[in-house]
Amino acid sequence: MKKILALALALCMIAGLVSAAAETYAPFNAGSITTAPKAAGGGEVDTVRYAGDETRDYRDEKEYTYHDYIAATTTMDWNPHTWETSDDSSVLDMMTMGFYGITLNADKSGYAITCEMAAELPVDVTAEYVGRFGVEEGETAKAWRIALNQDATWENGEKITADDYIYSMQQQLNPKMKNRRADSYYAGDLIIVNAKNYLYAGETAYSLVEDTAENLVAAGTDVYLDMNFWGIAGAPDADGNAAPTYVNINDETLYRDEAVEEGNDEDWVSAKYIFDNYLAEGAPYNAYQASYLYTAAIAPETAWEDVGLLKIDDYTIDLVLEKAMEEPAFYMPYHLSSNWLVYKPMYEELKVFTAADGTEVATEEEAASVTSKYMKDVETSISYGPYKITYFELDKQISYERNPEWYGYRDDKHYGMYQTDKVTVSVISQHETQMKSFEVGDLDGVALQSADMATYASSPYIYYTPQSYTTKVSFNTDLEKLREHGTGSEILTIKEFREAFALCIDREHFATAYTSAGTAGFGMLNYQYVYNPFTGEAYRDSEGAKNALVNLYGLTYGEGGEYADLDEAYDAMTGYDLELAREKMAVAAEKAVAEGVWDGESELTIDFRVYQNDTIYVQMFTYFDDQLKAACEGTPLEGKVSLTMTVDADYYNTMYSGAADVIFTTWGGAAMSPFTMLNQCYTDDAMGGGNQMEYGFHTEEVMMTINVDGKDVTDNLQNWTNWVGGATDAALVGKLEEQIGKFNDYDYATKCAFLAACEYCFLNYYTTTPVYYRNVAALHSQRVEFATYQYVMNVGFGGYAFNTYTMDDAEWADFIAAGNLQY
Amino acid sequence: MTAIIVISALVVVLALCAFFGGSRSKYVVKRILLMFLTLFVIMTICFILIKLLPLPLVKSINKDVELQKAKYAQRGYYKPIMVQYFNFWKNVITEWNWGMGEQLYTDRAVWPVMMQKLPYTILVNLYSILIAIPIGLAFGIYAALKKNKWQDNVISTTVMIFTSVPSYVYAFLVQLFLCVKLRWFDLTIKSLDETPLFSWQMFVSMIPAVISLGFGVTARLTRYTRAELSEVLTGDYMLLARTKGLTKAQAISRHAMRNSMVVILPMIIGEFIGIIGGSLIIERIFGIPGLGNVFVDAISVKDYNFFMAETFFYTVIGLASGILTDISYGFIDPRIRMGSRK
Repeated sequence: MKKILALALALCMIAGLVSAAAETYAPFNAGSITTAPKAAGGGEVDTVRYAGDETRDYRDEKEYTYHDYIAATTTMDWNPHTWETSDDSSVLDMMTMGFYGITLNADKSGYAITCEMAAELPVDVTAEYVGRFGVEEGETAKAWRIALNQDATWENGEKITADDYIYSMQQQLNPKMKNRRADSYYAGDLIIVNAKNYLYAGETAYSLVEDTAENLVAAGTDVYLDMNFWGIAGAPDADGNAAPTYVNINDETLYRDEAVEEGNDEDWVSAKYIFDNYLAEGAPYNAYQASYLYTAAIAPETAWEDVGLLKIDDYTIDLVLEKAMEEPAFYMPYHLSSNWLVYKPMYEELKVFTAADGTEVATEEEAASVTSKYMKDVETSISYGPYKITYFELDKQISYERNPEWYGYRDDKHYGMYQTDKVTVSVISQHETQMKSFEVGDLDGVALQSADMATYASSPYIYYTPQSYTTKVSFNTDLEKLREHGTGSEILTIKEFREAFALCIDREHFATAYTSAGTAGFGMLNYQYVYNPFTGEAYRDSEGAKNALVNLYGLTYGEGGEYADLDEAYDAMTGYDLELAREKMAVAAEKAVAEGVWDGESELTIDFRVYQNDTIYVQMFTYFDDQLKAACEGTPLEGKVSLTMTVDADYYNTMYSGAADVIFTTWGGAAMSPFTMLNQCYTDDAMGGGNQMEYGFHTEEVMMTINVDGKDVTDNLQNWTNWVGGATDAALVGKLEEQIGKFNDYDYATKCAFLAACEYCFLNYYTTTPVYYRNVAALHSQRVEFATYQYVMNVGFGGYAFNTYTMDDAEWADFIAAGNLQY
Repeated sequence: MTAIIVISALVVVLALCAFFGGSRSKYVVKRILLMFLTLFVIMTICFILIKLLPLPLVKSINKDVELQKAKYAQRGYYKPIMVQYFNFWKNVITEWNWGMGEQLYTDRAVWPVMMQKLPYTILVNLYSILIAIPIGLAFGIYAALKKNKWQDNVISTTVMIFTSVPSYVYAFLVQLFLCVKLRWFDLTIKSLDETPLFSWQMFVSMIPAVISLGFGVTARLTRYTRAELSEVLTGDYMLLARTKGLTKAQAISRHAMRNSMVVILPMIIGEFIGIIGGSLIIERIFGIPGLGNVFVDAISVKDYNFFMAETFFYTVIGLASGILTDISYGFIDPRIRMGSRK
């Protein structure tokens, strides 16, 4: 009898574990959406720019130097083909010009598109390419003609012609250089025909599988495993040969896994073993096939003539795109607002040729790898923009002065702009030194930290720059991983616990107390995301987006509701309800015991990873800990739950591997592309090499239903977000396109509603909870005036081009000496 | 470059042998050979360990990670570690080529970047030590001579304060009073655009940093000198020296100071060695583009090439300083025999 009881008990436990381990998500109903098709043509762009202050003629004899700073030049590289960071692009902004500029419009209420290195807006010439470059009859928006600005010259006075653009793109896509920014011309929305093939010519290019490995193999296609799945890319085999990154899933070559002690299970593993045991149908990580398995194709040898960039005449080029540009009136100039131009004589002279063993060789033909030292310091830089670099000292200073050869100083189209004669950028990494330098008049602007706000919050010289970044708290919800941590943090798998955590945070208080200029954050996308590029309207202000958050936080409006209308409810939203948090916590405690993740007695410790342990982080952490404890009051979890703070500079990767319980996460960028954000940053599972920070949240298992025009449409959240992101492949969007067509065929309001539904669905599982939207508070000096003090998307406050001065350098020095500085 | 370094090393070895002669030169040569062996072992361990870490790949929207992998592959970073190790030494020995910065100072040659930053670090620290040594010695001697009197108490208390408070605290205070309130100095040091490195203006702009660094060194030297000298002054041979008819000043300078230097001089050498390491926080506060932060940055961003070059640099400095310190003992006190088996 005892044996039977023990067996029954064991079976119950196993069943409990299995049910808990394989978390199932309650289906989500996102409500209904009434669709409308998009208007033909998309819209018109504003092309009339703000004329600038005509009383501030840059040609006066006075001298105006703007004194700026950056924190470091440790990563600085302003080669247009390899630049990476915003500091790099700030250098390029001074010395280069895009084909088109995005600048303040006439009344400074928004942005306008202007021609810079191009003489005219791009013209659709797709019809001329039918039958070539894959262009088919009837297609539009694939081939674009750009008339070049014939006044444009290099700093040395040499004219810039179509040949420069052709040479520069050849180098940008040079297969031996593998320049970091080459992907700008094939990995985003601006995909030049054959750009990628030219770059990878003759090399094997791997693409993620679009079908199951079993189907592909059955069809005779070779499937490859990314050995990073097991962390053994480069691991040695028995003969000392390193494992390639991609190995055929039928390959039985054994590689030594250094993470496992010799003699233990899985100390030597093969791609076949990993596939069969972990990724094959029925294996535990089968869902990650689409993230770790690849098909291979050898990129065809591609002649330059087959790349979609053509010289028509000395001042005209054509760009032929693989994919028609959506809403081209805005997005063609937008994607061409930067440039790939390099100066051939200098670029060639500065090339370094390296053999595969790292030794230098004499010619490009012999080299395995080519690097150019172009644009690394003054001698290797050449400008074709409004300023030229005059001094560069690593980690110390960058100085610019006017480039007298810039066409803008001669064409009368930029009159009243660019009053700044010189710019000096000092490298000052310590914030206290930055502040003191500003306070004594050495700098013309300084970013503030939260501790500075007590002194400067009411300064007349303060301004706030909104950023597209939302900071959230992300949870690991993978039961197995949490159990491995051994601290009782398995309670994070209980949705009500995470919900209680979300409800106990007073976001207004948090943003005010612990950030310099942040504002309470409720959604995953903040106010910087523009859904209509022609009007600049923000996603967060759309009806769908507001509704999503109001519903999430349980506010009601209209007849019988708490608030009169949606706007009133939205404005009243705080996301903070300690009482409700306690109710949820009580439910969480009950569920935790029932599901076997808590014994009802043990103390539970949740590991909160933070980047560093400076005062602010400690304060933030302490706040979360206090609030979590407050939410537990009066529940069985009272006195049983606490957070511990662990400093971990690599905390993102720690979460990617499932080793963290909770981390701060921040996503932003691509503010003009709100629709691609969710699939790229929030549902692209980290296990699959993507960016999702919520370890264990399997969006492909979350089923969401939307009533679209009266018909229920159901699919998983991953497919929904892919569809909203513009994907059309059945492997990525399931049957969504079959049922409701292409996402891009809907109007903006409909698109927003779909995006909002996905956002609502994601937030509803509380695997992440937004806390604040990032903004930067800064001071400008008493002599600098901005064109506008109302932040404008894409152009900020006008920038150097529109900055004006109330005092020149000499007057400013006198003003400081007289002790007049007062902020 | 490699040839220059090898020749320089040989010249140094020969000079030391000629200087010491006999058994001491044998000892020096032995230590130098051991230094190379130790250096090789450390470099090998560091190389293997750093190469075991995964290559950092930047994840970003619309970025082709394969492009970065292809670049790494072109540079041989996916080859077996031993092949990479062989290539590493081959390039260093034949071309003095430490590779290019990957995550740090991207695509800039590693060694020139380090050499560009080194003079700042050396200069600021050298100035601070050159100022601190006479002051520290003077205060130490004075405190020892006035032992247990109010002067000694004042000096000792001040020394305790300056030893306990971290240098960045002085740095902020120095910056506040000398640079902001009094406006005697710039908040950050001048750039080479404004004045050459070896110029009066550059020296003046470095003064706040020099003072901030100097407080700690001065305090440590004062403390050591006082302690050593106090002990020596009570020795029997000091009494003998006085009874021989030497004046107090003569006895102190000829006997007491020399004996106390057995401890103090290695400490001063240690401070000089510390010069190379720089001071991360002081460099940050005063905008000094020195070497202070490069090692830490190289580790935090996983830049293999900078990490290896910095490891080499600091290991050589550390090992060389050990030899120098040991040699200095014999130089100060001939009774200390080097390399003796007894």
